[in-house]
Amino acid sequence: MNTPNRRQALGAGLSISALAGLSACGGGSVGAADAGKPIKGGSLRVGVTGGNSADTVDAHIPVNSGDVCRAVNLYNALYGWDDDSQVVPLLAESFESNADATVWTCTLKQGIKFSDGSPITPDDVIFTFKRITDPDDPKTAAANFSMLDKVVAKDGRTVEFHLSEANGLFKDAVAEYTAAIVPEGYDPENPVCSGPFKLKSFTPAQSTVLVPNEHYFDYDKMYLDEVQLLNFNDSDALINALLSTQVDAIAQIPVALVEVIAADERMAILNSETGMWLPLTMRVDKKPFDDVKVRQAFRLVVDREQMIEQVLSGFGTVGNDMFGPLSENYPEFPQRKQDIPKAKKLLAEAGYPDGLDVELVTAPIQSGAVESAQVFAQQAAEAGIRVKIRRVDATTFFGEEYLQWDFAQDFWYTRDFLPQVISCALEESPFNETHWDDPAFNKVFDKVRGIPEVEKRRDGEHELQKMLYDEGGYIVWGFANQVDAFQKYVGGLVKNSTGRPLGGWRFDRVWIGKV
Amino acid sequence: MSTNTNSLDDLKSAAVDGGEVPKESQTTYTPFFKRVLAQKQGKIGLTLTIIVLLLAFCGPLLLPWATGNTATEFVAKPFSPHGLFGSDNLGRDVLSRFFAGGLTLIVYSVLATALGMILGAIIGMLAAYVGGTFDAIIMRLNDVILAVPQLVFALLAITVLGPQGWVLVTVIGVTHAPRIARVARSATLGVITEDYILAAEMYAMPRWKVLLRELLPNITGPLSVEAGLRLTYSIGYIASLSFLGLGLQPPAADWGLMINENRIALSIQPWGVLLPVIAIALLTIGTNLLADSFARATASTSVEA
Repeated sequence: MNTPNRRQALGAGLSISALAGLSACGGGSVGAADAGKPIKGGSLRVGVTGGNSADTVDAHIPVNSGDVCRAVNLYNALYGWDDDSQVVPLLAESFESNADATVWTCTLKQGIKFSDGSPITPDDVIFTFKRITDPDDPKTAAANFSMLDKVVAKDGRTVEFHLSEANGLFKDAVAEYTAAIVPEGYDPENPVCSGPFKLKSFTPAQSTVLVPNEHYFDYDKMYLDEVQLLNFNDSDALINALLSTQVDAIAQIPVALVEVIAADERMAILNSETGMWLPLTMRVDKKPFDDVKVRQAFRLVVDREQMIEQVLSGFGTVGNDMFGPLSENYPEFPQRKQDIPKAKKLLAEAGYPDGLDVELVTAPIQSGAVESAQVFAQQAAEAGIRVKIRRVDATTFFGEEYLQWDFAQDFWYTRDFLPQVISCALEESPFNETHWDDPAFNKVFDKVRGIPEVEKRRDGEHELQKMLYDEGGYIVWGFANQVDAFQKYVGGLVKNSTGRPLGGWRFDRVWIGKV
Repeated sequence: MSTNTNSLDDLKSAAVDGGEVPKESQTTYTPFFKRVLAQKQGKIGLTLTIIVLLLAFCGPLLLPWATGNTATEFVAKPFSPHGLFGSDNLGRDVLSRFFAGGLTLIVYSVLATALGMILGAIIGMLAAYVGGTFDAIIMRLNDVILAVPQLVFALLAITVLGPQGWVLVTVIGVTHAPRIARVARSATLGVITEDYILAAEMYAMPRWKVLLRELLPNITGPLSVEAGLRLTYSIGYIASLSFLGLGLQPPAADWGLMINENRIALSIQPWGVLLPVIAIALLTIGTNLLADSFARATASTSVEA
């Protein structure tokens, strides 16, 4: 399988635009197709960027966008997220906890099989979690399972998870795609799959070909014969490939270019609101941010509407210094707005009557990162905060000093409030950029964590949220939409709030309509 | 005795009769800048350079007066057709950023070239003047540095030391030096055997004075050509480095940076890329034409057709 290079893509793009120009001269319009009713058959070609020689098909260590796409389509976890980021069963039929949330019992679906036809058994589940939490080689999801004591098989379809401490969020943890079930003796070189697709061929940094897994429990509901995932070097090549019909769908287009693609009537835009956030991170243990007044002042200088407008071209929702906007227990705190006089007053009280100088470390870690740093610098200047932007490359940003920068940025996909706290707001969190470690906060958190029912956690969660809202080190100015583009003849791509592109990468429900 | 005196006088007069009497030069001397301007390239080059220089130096002064905006103010949505040349990737006015973005590029290029010229001329002249083993060692070291592509060297230094103005100027200047040193050396070699150098040495003039007073003025021709050429390269390199994100840091307005920031939208909002590209092109073409006409002007002391 050849990956089209940039020149080919450009060449094709040029000839297509020439054709389009000619037909425009003729007064006719290029056929605007609609995918119509689902039909069986056809091959879907998807373009992505960001692939490299380290691309993987391993279920448990996906890194870039292409890896995640492969993981989601090749493997299924016990539970998964639906389009509204709610946890829904995949391989499991039920998942119940005991009263104090220390033992969780999972019943697998009846008759489910791997792609080689062998049944999915509790032994495979045990093997999977051993592999993820392998102390010598912990996988991406290992941090979620630090309290996992042991997994035991009860009968042919039932497994029990014994935890060393109460965890009401365990179901959310097993619903992460990085906790997908793999068979005993799993070999990522030659993967046996539990998901809707199986691997036909794979060349890192170039292409992946997936074909339907005939042993998948919902095989009858799938339409495609094949999915090709093609790598492109940059967004320009990606967009040109779409416009020249070299690919049928592309993931994540620069929001400023949406109108270029939307102007082409053969194309459709998939614009999904998500909980993806691109915060500015202030270290609460370092000067000047160790003073809560400085943090509050910084949060007050942000004109959030303008951030959305300038950085995301309007493709986003305003943030309120609180993550997890799709959580059931998302709080209704008053929307924080730009208030320069108040910010100045807070800074003066903190001992900076003449403003202060800070260095903001930024890197192209996600589209909009460097841009938001610039807009912030401009807005902060009004309050006398002199922001010096230091742009480093992404490798340096995530290098040795990552999580140590005094004032920087980061990027997070959609998560519920509590899982997000586990990831970034506890001392033991793997990505605690702000170095938030508050005894009062931890105490409440430990209590809340043990409660399995969402409704009963509400008050506790609100207490935690209030602390972060008042004193935290994040400036959460907004949530970016996931914007993808596809040919109109592709059907079944729906809005998805998880932040994973193209309907959450769920190609098991996609079809190619008649053109 | 008298015969002796007479014969001496005869000899003298014979010498005067037979010897060459200093005559008026066949060619008329024309000042250097006139020789440059007499050429078409010189005129075009100078005009282009001056236009871009004026733009870069006066642009920042008349910013809000001419465009109504500052260079960092947000005026519209990203890439919308606002104002004369539209808005850039963050919705800032392209024209005001264009006005503001040339100054640093030009100042850095001139500084880098000056640094390279000083270093290179000293090294080259010394090598040629001292000669022998010293010359051999210096020039072989020079070759080693020449083997490393300039841009790669610059990328390395900036990655290590950080993207600061002085690093940019120093690294471009220092990497220019070996190239200039070669020119300076060969020019010096051509001059060093001249009698006036020997004469100066006979007067026991200090060596630095010989270098400065006798040598340097006589190699300004080739050096000025080299300076023009290096300036062109400096502009190219510094713009490239800014484009790669290793020059000026955002939100500063800078032509190289502007090209990078706005290139994704070339199809819907080309001005953000085109304006700085045109300016950089005009500037490099201008300086290059000037250097070219310098070369012709130094080839003779008279005006060529």
